[in-house]
Amino acid sequence: MNDMDTDARTDAEPPARSERDLSNAADMIVCEEICKWYGDFQALEGVSATIKEQEVVVVLGPSGSGKSTWIRCINRLEQHQEGRIVVDGVELTNDLRNIEKVRSEVGMVFQQFNLFPHLKVRDNVSLAPIWVRKKPKAEAEEQAQALLELVGIPEQADKFPGQLSGGQQQRVAIARALAMEPKIMLFDEPTSALDPEMIKEVLDVMKNLALSGMTMMVVTHEMGFAKEVADRIIFMEEGQIVEVGTPEHFFTNPTEDRTKLFLSQILA
Amino acid sequence: MTAPTNQASSTHEAVSQRVPLWRDAVVVKWMTQVTLLTLVLATLWFLASQAGDNLSARDIDIGFDFLERPPDIQLSEGIDTHPATGGRALWVGMVNTLRMAGAGIIFATLLGVVVGLSRLSNNWLIQRLGTIWVETLRNVPLLVQIIFYSSVLSTLPRVGLDTGPINGWLHISNKGLSIPRIFIADGFYQWAVVVLLGAIGARYVHKRRVHLHNETGANTSPILWALGTIVVFAIVGLFIHPAFSFIGPIMGAIAGLLDSLPVILPQVVLSAAAIFFAARWIRGFLADRRSAVGHLALSDDDYFRIIFAATAALIAVAILSMWSGFSSWLINSGTDLFEVIEDKFNADGAARPFDAMRPDIVKPGKFANYGTSGLTITIGFAAVFFGVVFYTSAFIGEIVRGGILAVPKGQIEAASAVGLSRAQSLRHIVLPQAFRIILPPLGNQYLNLTKNTSLAIAVGYSDIVQVGQTVYNQTGKTLPVVAIWMLFYLACSLTISVIVNYYNVRLKLVER
Amino acid sequence: MSEYGADTPTIGDVPRIVTPPVEPHLPPRQWLAKNLFPSKLNTLLTIVASLVILAIVRGLLGFIFNPIRQWNATAVNLRLMMTHAYPADQYVRVWVSVAVFLVLTSLSLVVWRVGFRILLRKLAKQVIAGGVFGLLVSVLAPFSTNATLIWLAVSAGVLAIGLGLLRAPEEATISSLTLVVGASSLAAASLWLIPYGRHSFVPDRTPRILAEPGTVAITTKLPWTIMLVIAVATYAVGRMLRDRIPTKQAQTVLLLTWFLAPLALIYLVLRDPDFDMAHVVSTDIPIFLVFAALGSATLFWLTRPDTGEIGRVIAMVILFLGFGSFLTPMRMVIRILLILLAMFSLAAPTFSGDRQTRRRYATTWTVVTLFLCWLITAINTPSTVDVPGEFFMGGFSLTLLVAFFTLIISFPLGVVLALARTSTMPVFRLLATTFIEFVRGIPLITILIFFSVMVPLFLPDGMDLPELTAVTIGYALFASAYLAENVRGGLQSVTRGQHEAAEAVGMTTSQKTVFIVLPQALRVAIPPLVGQVIATFKETSLLYIIGLYDLLFVAKALVPNQTEFMGSTRENLLFVSVIYWIIAYNLSKASQRLERRVGLGER
Repeated sequence: MNDMDTDARTDAEPPARSERDLSNAADMIVCEEICKWYGDFQALEGVSATIKEQEVVVVLGPSGSGKSTWIRCINRLEQHQEGRIVVDGVELTNDLRNIEKVRSEVGMVFQQFNLFPHLKVRDNVSLAPIWVRKKPKAEAEEQAQALLELVGIPEQADKFPGQLSGGQQQRVAIARALAMEPKIMLFDEPTSALDPEMIKEVLDVMKNLALSGMTMMVVTHEMGFAKEVADRIIFMEEGQIVEVGTPEHFFTNPTEDRTKLFLSQILA
Repeated sequence: MTAPTNQASSTHEAVSQRVPLWRDAVVVKWMTQVTLLTLVLATLWFLASQAGDNLSARDIDIGFDFLERPPDIQLSEGIDTHPATGGRALWVGMVNTLRMAGAGIIFATLLGVVVGLSRLSNNWLIQRLGTIWVETLRNVPLLVQIIFYSSVLSTLPRVGLDTGPINGWLHISNKGLSIPRIFIADGFYQWAVVVLLGAIGARYVHKRRVHLHNETGANTSPILWALGTIVVFAIVGLFIHPAFSFIGPIMGAIAGLLDSLPVILPQVVLSAAAIFFAARWIRGFLADRRSAVGHLALSDDDYFRIIFAATAALIAVAILSMWSGFSSWLINSGTDLFEVIEDKFNADGAARPFDAMRPDIVKPGKFANYGTSGLTITIGFAAVFFGVVFYTSAFIGEIVRGGILAVPKGQIEAASAVGLSRAQSLRHIVLPQAFRIILPPLGNQYLNLTKNTSLAIAVGYSDIVQVGQTVYNQTGKTLPVVAIWMLFYLACSLTISVIVNYYNVRLKLVER
Repeated sequence: MSEYGADTPTIGDVPRIVTPPVEPHLPPRQWLAKNLFPSKLNTLLTIVASLVILAIVRGLLGFIFNPIRQWNATAVNLRLMMTHAYPADQYVRVWVSVAVFLVLTSLSLVVWRVGFRILLRKLAKQVIAGGVFGLLVSVLAPFSTNATLIWLAVSAGVLAIGLGLLRAPEEATISSLTLVVGASSLAAASLWLIPYGRHSFVPDRTPRILAEPGTVAITTKLPWTIMLVIAVATYAVGRMLRDRIPTKQAQTVLLLTWFLAPLALIYLVLRDPDFDMAHVVSTDIPIFLVFAALGSATLFWLTRPDTGEIGRVIAMVILFLGFGSFLTPMRMVIRILLILLAMFSLAAPTFSGDRQTRRRYATTWTVVTLFLCWLITAINTPSTVDVPGEFFMGGFSLTLLVAFFTLIISFPLGVVLALARTSTMPVFRLLATTFIEFVRGIPLITILIFFSVMVPLFLPDGMDLPELTAVTIGYALFASAYLAENVRGGLQSVTRGQHEAAEAVGMTTSQKTVFIVLPQALRVAIPPLVGQVIATFKETSLLYIIGLYDLLFVAKALVPNQTEFMGSTRENLLFVSVIYWIIAYNLSKASQRLERRVGLGER
């Protein structure tokens, strides 16, 4: 992460993300016909999708459409009951080694931040590298400091999460996920619990991350972010993928009626 | 969607191999659990076999036959101070424990509410008194308190043949307090049947009056009418109760019928019931897991539940079929129960439902003591009673105070905003909400109080523990007695939990 | 725990709020009108309450100062009640223990910066209340004229001091510790100056009871004065060094010392084991060396990050060896160490890391092994302390001993039970729930009787468990069920999001539990846990029922049976109540303060 070129990015025009040619890139996430039930209720009804390396995919859809369930299945916070999920060549099964491997390669950012309130910000970031990645403590703390600088809050390292604003907390959460040097980052509505004036600071960090070439899967309601950053948009409803396409296609002439209805409600 | 590339197909191959057992999350999870269960069962088995060896080596047998034999002990108080069998002695102890717990719960609640309210009083002196009460009593061990009360009470004057203050009516001495006693006599059970009929009638009358009220809107006071009905029946019952002696022979007939049942019958019926309930539960469980589209996704935990239910039923069946003693015990106790009831109805026509007696003092040998005719509260009872009541009242006081304080201030403000008076807002707004918060910890205190009555052993009040200790000192049957203690207290705890939970659930429903 | 434990905020970090709540200050008449006579009903209540209070106070004073009271029984038997029959010629061991305890207390006061400033005016009110109460006592108690005069004079003096303090400047404060030191210095000085009389129980061949007027015996006043000097001196030295020592490390070291000191005091100082050096060299040291070497090598290898599943298999093999060792005759210490090694191996993947981390883990194992070997050897070695009866401790020290061991056994057990009860594994839940609900459903006394009478029945041939140990295990099992419920409350307060976040960064279940869940859960559970500590302390009085020589037993069964002090039960019980009350009350107050301070630092 540290080689991310921050200066070059700021004055360059954002490249047209959707025009990138990713067809030769490797598959990072492959989902085949995933199904998931909660008792009687079917949350996912045969979801299939493939996400390429360096690709940024935004998942849209009304609440309760299964978006969160899907991305939580990808690092096995939830278990899918049918179908296959392959993350970077590793299939998610009951194999303990695979679960460990996938968890440490997939970073996740939650809606409610879920920072550890009893640990200082620096320890929040360095805890997992020390005990999961088995890094020496000094090295992990150095890396934590660098990551906090990357998300723009190096001066908060010695505070406790409770002393930070929501936006700062979410940025710490991103740093915490990045500390595991993941190949894929999952964002589960990262700005939904934030006050409006703090949303931008988090989105900026996410944009920079996308520009640096991270593979990202983002569940969000931020249409601006989707338009600007996404390579592809996946629209879900009632546990199924309704429509997939580039931002241009999605926002200008969607094919499905349900997508049109959703967009008219959102953009009205 | 993107077409699968070469990369993807190679991924496909890489993952299709089987997971080795020691890396499979489900296998590891269940292996861990099976290992633990094995270790626990092995430890228990080891201890049990050691106990068995040691017992046989010391020639001790652990049968329950002492329950049927004369125990040769004398109890200081209770429904029967010279019990004929060991079982009867323990029964007397249980009744004493329940008496103490019941009286303790009632008085501790009353006193606790007073204490809690006094701590919220705006009168400085009252508030301080409440605080001192709570802080003193809950920080001194209950046992120390009980022994202290006992040693204070035993400094009362010795009992003599003309102990006052009102000889023949009220005695206070180092043997306790003795007052006239009203007790149920031989005709009571016939009379109780009449009152039971009265209660059924009262229910009907209550319904009618409520109906009338709904029709006409007039004040029909249904509760008064219902109570009146019961009173009328109770008074009439005093004269006509011998008419109900016929119930006795009916009960006798039932007892005879039970006695003639074959031992195999309860075995078959109970086994069938166990299998039936397990099967019904499993079916319900499976139906619950079936999704609307007919898909069934069972996790490993679900399989465990199903297997557990089935195994439990099978174990029950195995125990029932191998241990025929249990079902003959069931039949025998059923027979005994109905024979006892028959006996209760055997009184002759002249027997009165109630009787009363004045206290007396007897002097069988050198020392005088209270006789059995008065109602005597012994020093032991008083010490334990004061101990548990005072001690628990301190805790209940804190619970009551906390519950009332936990009602949001906005509620009281809202109540006064709609014009309720202070008393009305307390009665209709604060207390109902506080009660909901108070109830669960209050139930806990009742459990504690019941268990704390076991400290009676320190001052010689004949509760189940004290009687049990006397019995095993006499017979050497420590293990069975300890088992009976534990079962008895578990049953008490379970009963109180069930009652408290019942009200808890009801209150929650009322809330919605 | 790892150094992460040290990084978590401890209570000492939290800024303390020193400003007392501001109360509107009313002139006395208005205060009375507002707080005592606001309405007719309240006036009545006030009058009734005053009469009740007067009656109680008069009754109590009448009891306490009645000339027929045998307070001598308590005074003479103080030593008996504190340490039962600990031999007088080795009593210096007791004093050493007290001194260690005081030193630790002083250092803790320094390191955790305990203590607060009290407004002098507030203090003045307390002193005045004390003076008024003294006057009340002098009037109401059935004193001789002489005594009344002394009481009156002293009370008037106190009252005058209080009134004087009231004139202190508004903002003047005094440290609470200065007050404590001042009060104890006064008490110590009074031992030298005031003729309290000599009281002691002389356990000679024909036990004598000594109670004569005169100055306090040197064997009482000298040690206590030394104790006070030691405590104050330690505090002063600590204060000077405080800013030069890193607080975190000091706190960790002190906590560890608090945990180890009682064991060291009991088994080294008080019990004074007579080590059989030949046996130690031939058996105990080799066992330790073998386990230390093999164990740390195994653990050093197992904590390699890339050990993988084979580590789990090895841990299980050691576990089965440990439990299997019960089937063949073997030294108990080997069995215990095998099972402990299995536990360490099972936890190894959680604490794996770079060389330094691994070396630390292996060192921890060696230290724990050393400690355990020493402890087991010390327990198994006969004592040189010549005590009549079975056990070398009794009275109040036995009460403390049982409470301490109950807590250190039951606390980890309670945490494990709580974790099992909230586990995702149904068999764990089933076993834990059954145990907890069973234990909570039956009274403590039945468990204690079971353990004191029945335990020999369940032991294999040749194994012997002293009654006190068996009973302490009973206490610990009982307390652990209640502790488990308290910890479970804490565990349930940790949100699902915390679990998920820990899983999402790749932590294993045990890492998640150790680093994320338990630290948060235990902090929430502090108040109920302290409540359980108080309950356990009070429950030690049940030792009386099973006939072990605790404080209550000495006070109720031994002292009133001395020919001189027949019928002194109530006096002794009052004294015992006061001891229990002081400790329980202060613990609960401390817990309330802790709760407020912890609540301040959270979120």
